[in-house]
Amino acid sequence: MKFNLPIFDIKNLTFIVKGQRILSNISLEIFRSEYIAIIGPNGGGKTTLIRMLLGLEKPTTGEVKIYGKKLSNFKEWHKIGYVPQRASHVDSSFPATVLDIVKMGRTSQRGFFSSFSETDKKLVYDAMAKMDILDLKDKMIGTLSGGQRQRAMIARALASKPEILILDEPNTGVDAASQKNFYALLRKLNKEDKITIVFITHDIGVIADDIARLFTINEKAIICNNPKQLLSCQEMSELYGIDAHLLHNHKHEH
Amino acid sequence: MLEMFEYDFMQRAFVAGIIIAVLASVSGTFVVLKRYSMISETLAHSALVGVAVGLVGGFNPLWMAVLFAIISAWLIEYLRSAFSLYSDAVLAILLSGSLAAAVIIVSIGGAFNNSLFSYLFGSILSVSSEDVVTIAIFGTLSLGALLFFSKELYFIAYDEEVAQTSGIKVNFLNFLLVSVVAVIIALSIRVVGSLLIGALMIIPSVSALQFRVGFLKTVIISLIFGLFSVVSGMTLSFYFSLPSGATIVLCVLVIFIISLIINRK
Ligand SMILES: Nc1ncnc2c1ncn2[C@@H]1O[C@H](COP(=O)(O)OP(=O)(O)OP(=O)(O)O)[C@@H](O)[C@H]1O
Ligand SMILES: [Mg+2]
Repeated sequence: MKFNLPIFDIKNLTFIVKGQRILSNISLEIFRSEYIAIIGPNGGGKTTLIRMLLGLEKPTTGEVKIYGKKLSNFKEWHKIGYVPQRASHVDSSFPATVLDIVKMGRTSQRGFFSSFSETDKKLVYDAMAKMDILDLKDKMIGTLSGGQRQRAMIARALASKPEILILDEPNTGVDAASQKNFYALLRKLNKEDKITIVFITHDIGVIADDIARLFTINEKAIICNNPKQLLSCQEMSELYGIDAHLLHNHKHEH
Repeated sequence: MLEMFEYDFMQRAFVAGIIIAVLASVSGTFVVLKRYSMISETLAHSALVGVAVGLVGGFNPLWMAVLFAIISAWLIEYLRSAFSLYSDAVLAILLSGSLAAAVIIVSIGGAFNNSLFSYLFGSILSVSSEDVVTIAIFGTLSLGALLFFSKELYFIAYDEEVAQTSGIKVNFLNFLLVSVVAVIIALSIRVVGSLLIGALMIIPSVSALQFRVGFLKTVIISLIFGLFSVVSGMTLSFYFSLPSGATIVLCVLVIFIISLIINRK
């Protein structure tokens, strides 16, 4: 891992709005094929951190590099699949079938005017099959349940054939059985397809065995690099409100 | 029934009207989906400033309308992105500001007359051959731009941020969309009038949305509604000597009510 160019390289990131410190001096790297979980209390800054990685929010100080480039110079955005936290809250009258939604994942890579190519079609249908929503493809997005919508959003991200998948609490409103399937799917995407996964979640216990590293974000970041420490990290993080301020953002050797 | 086509002015009005119906309903779908309906009202009033300048200064009012609507559209997008001002407020401020400016310009220039009335409510009598050519040229360019970027615009309407993080040039396309909408609105004020074009742009799409079908079908339904309203509205305008904008909007309102009733839950 040491010689591997990180996908994301974040240095001394600080974000202050209206005098309030949301994130303080965060430095971390995300490597190819890693499975990372991010946890932290509500309002801890997890979503804000992700938004800064994606250029949706500008850090007050600090720098984000993506594949070694500054965000403004980065062009290959199709390598990144993003499912935002509020993704499943759609306007129920929006005129989109599930197929329309998943096809959006191909938009930025399709030539203008060019019709949907065979490759596009295959990727879209593969993504729907992976998320188990093929039978819903002609349903209007507004008529689906929260969990079904969420799967459509993830299928859209997968359709762009991403190298990294960033999921912001994608499991809100998903039943227990589907969640289990979903965790199995993430594991498979990570192990077999080598997709890097950054997963913001509150259910850390369930995926503890899958993840390589754990970031706890509560204004500051605590990074657990050693999977064997996960349990103690987890205990520590259960106290994150207090510990985050005491502990420095230190990194272990790889 | 077809006697109205014996008049040259009716032929011109119909060609212009049909082009405008296509443009307004297709662009209107994107505007409605972006929850940006108010922009059509504001741009129509900005176009009116152009008309006032044209009438008073002796320039072609249609060209001036296009120019002023585009400037206003860029100002709106700039204010929205640079100051993250709440877009509703920006639109309301520019709407009243434009109307005030237009009224002052025509008052000072002494141009309060029938010609101005026709720009407010539309008139089938006033469409010149020159207007038809202008509408056809700008109309084709605008429609081309919309269709060229339709997939991107659709994605942006659905989720602007995810579209941006997937590599779509969101800022550029937002500017492009408002520019195209500005051009379409300015072109429409001859036939529909600046006070009524907003309705022709928004209502066919809102009616089509009631059917809860996919994107392509929604656009097609909206297009049919727009065409039907313009054709029947202009026919009514001819036979009852009413301002065409008003009859067109009445027709589109009837369609809206019927769509609501058919699709009620
Ligand atoms: N642009 C902004 N302007 C004002 N406040 C902001 C902005 N961005 C983030 N915040 C604030 O930063 C804090 C962190 O929010 P964030 O959404 O990142 O938390 P989170 O860790 O994702 O929480 P949750 O678990 O509830 O999703 C919140 O208090 C939020 O109000
Ligand atoms: Mg969040």
